[in-house]
Amino acid sequence: MSDKKKAFPTLTRRGLLKGGAAVAGGIVGLGGFPYINRLAVRAQETPLKFWQFYAPGGPVASQVEWFEKTVADWNDSHPQKIELEFIPNSEYISGPKLATAFASGEGPDIFIISPGDFLRYYNGGVLKDLTPFIDEATRADFPESVIANRMVDGKVFGIPMEVEPMAMYYSVKAFEEAGLNENDVPKTWEELLEVAKKLTTPERFGVMFETQPGYYQNFTWYPFLWQGGGEFQTADGKSSFDSPATVQALKFWQDAINSGVAPRQIMGAGGHDTIANLASGYVAMQNVGIWGISQLQSNAKDFQYGVFRLPTPPNGKYVTVGGGWAFVANAKGRNSDAAGEFCAWALASKEQGSIDRVATWCTKGKSDMPPRNSALKAGGEAFSSGMIGTFAKEIHPGTRAEPRVPPEVYKIISDAIQQTQLGGADPQATATAASQQLDAFLSSYQGAPIL
Amino acid sequence: MTTIAETAARRRHAGRTRLSAKHREWIAGYLFVLPDALGLLVFLGVPMALSLALSVFEVNGFGGYSFVGAKNYLRMWNDPLFWKGAKVTALYAVMLVPLLYACGLGLALLVQRTDRFNTVMRSMFFAPHMVSLVVVALVWQFMVVDKIGVVSRLTAALGIGGFSFLGDPNFALITIVLVSVWFLMGFYMLIFLGGLQDIPRQYYEAAMIDGAGAIARFWFITLPLLKPTSFFVIMVSMVAAVAGAQAFDIIYVMTKGGPANATAVLIVYIYQQAFGFGAFGYAAAMASILVVALMIVTAVFFALTRGGRFNHEQ
Repeated sequence: MSDKKKAFPTLTRRGLLKGGAAVAGGIVGLGGFPYINRLAVRAQETPLKFWQFYAPGGPVASQVEWFEKTVADWNDSHPQKIELEFIPNSEYISGPKLATAFASGEGPDIFIISPGDFLRYYNGGVLKDLTPFIDEATRADFPESVIANRMVDGKVFGIPMEVEPMAMYYSVKAFEEAGLNENDVPKTWEELLEVAKKLTTPERFGVMFETQPGYYQNFTWYPFLWQGGGEFQTADGKSSFDSPATVQALKFWQDAINSGVAPRQIMGAGGHDTIANLASGYVAMQNVGIWGISQLQSNAKDFQYGVFRLPTPPNGKYVTVGGGWAFVANAKGRNSDAAGEFCAWALASKEQGSIDRVATWCTKGKSDMPPRNSALKAGGEAFSSGMIGTFAKEIHPGTRAEPRVPPEVYKIISDAIQQTQLGGADPQATATAASQQLDAFLSSYQGAPIL
Repeated sequence: MTTIAETAARRRHAGRTRLSAKHREWIAGYLFVLPDALGLLVFLGVPMALSLALSVFEVNGFGGYSFVGAKNYLRMWNDPLFWKGAKVTALYAVMLVPLLYACGLGLALLVQRTDRFNTVMRSMFFAPHMVSLVVVALVWQFMVVDKIGVVSRLTAALGIGGFSFLGDPNFALITIVLVSVWFLMGFYMLIFLGGLQDIPRQYYEAAMIDGAGAIARFWFITLPLLKPTSFFVIMVSMVAAVAGAQAFDIIYVMTKGGPANATAVLIVYIYQQAFGFGAFGYAAAMASILVVALMIVTAVFFALTRGGRFNHEQ
């Protein structure tokens, strides 16, 4: 009995108070211990956090390998270490992860953003000026059309890692089943809908445009606006959304839905997912970007497909949109100079390693067009042959950079697309109403220029 | 002769007995509630107060705050998307609550007898509730996809197909409601089963001797005696529907608020403003109004039903 008592001493109030005092005293006393001081020193040397969404085990293994190698090479040669942190795509793009991190002052030191996010972060004052880390010759290596939407007042705030033009992909099998071949590839909007009709069966849609509301849908719709000469704002910052070109572009997507050749709901991760939509046989033609090549190569090796440039409207001219993500550094981070230096070292250094890194990402990591002229040369044969060669020669020359817009502008355009494409609203009335909303916002907007 | 120590001891004793049994019970009751009350205060009360405070600031999400007074509330008043969200939320609640009540009670009546078959059926009906909402949304999204989804094929075979469950604004919200009901009805079935077991069997036996049929027994015995359970089910499902508790996950995965904002319940719009656009102040203002609306709905329902209590005067 007494032994048991010894093994499990009774907890009295006095005992508890004594214990608490001892623990509290211990904590206070530890302040003077060298171990605590070492912890403080170590905190200063903790690796900088680099957030992105190419998670291990993701759909394309070579992409995460590229990120890991880039960071490992930096860590081998620099005292300030960097650590990759993978954020799931749904948390990263339009998700709460970055927003809550920055709101609580715990934003990552380095992260990647698309043009759609640029103004939000720039106007929030968290983008580090990367110009001091890039020499003049290297800066000129980035074509103006690629770097312009990452610049404010002549300074670079983001370094693009890729250029991703949009095109149309088609299934060779679906074409053959419909008695079509590559000579039937449509060149105009009208032809596209006609071919799509021939390709539509009870179990397959002829053509697919993005249907889910979001930045990506706006991005994929812009070329159809531009092809007819449309813009969403004039040079003096007023809305120009109420135009025949806008109405025509809204109506084109609406016609595709109303005629039954395009689906209202898409499969898989979204309109950018070629595996779940095109390769699965759900659609015969898909409006998607250059990244589709690496998707199909990695996950549907035997799938036979072709690509063609976006068809044009009557009296329109060919133009496509080029998206792409960019490295940025947190101006309020723990060591923003090192973070900025890393971004420049990785993608915008005159060293051959930096040029090769960009070329490798665009050829082996994720099929893309390089944002640097020197990387285009370094890629050599890879950019002139195969499907990427088709993009380089036929599709990329008409690329216009993805616009950077504040969230309010994105939402107005998104609602206009959704209301006409899926809501059945009149394109002219929708364009007029959206234009009035745009004007109301643009007249009071204060921030970096909308491009 | 009494000593000073004896007097002091008597006083202490007298002091202890001064608390009546009622007071002691009162104190004990509050002490039992205290841990939960503290939890609610820290994790619910404080964030709600902070959210209310945030609603009068313009917040850019990067540490910038500026006091704007009622501007966020005025913006809300003039924002058609806020009103659209309020309308969609009301529609969602109006469709969800009766359907959930009917399905939950229906299932409970079906499987209330305790034999082996019913035990298996109860588990099957409850099973959806054990699955992650995101998985539920993804599976249903796949099942109702245009043309090739299994549900789309089934409806087409029955001659009522040819429409898009999630891509047509006329059908998207009802699809979300049906998926929500499918997910939640097992949980409410369990609550109704508990309520049904509380009804004394003698009432049914007496009614049967009097010749009452199944419908009469349900109408005059089951339904009235389920009043407290019904109150709980309607109250909880209504609060969940208006707050968008389950709806958010399902909608965010299945439609992202589309098509054409047809499924953008308020909580989705609030989320979009806060985390998509960084408009934390505006989102906080909308969240505050949503809480007030919920409190009003709860109070009205409570007053109308007397909190689900039986009226003993009848």
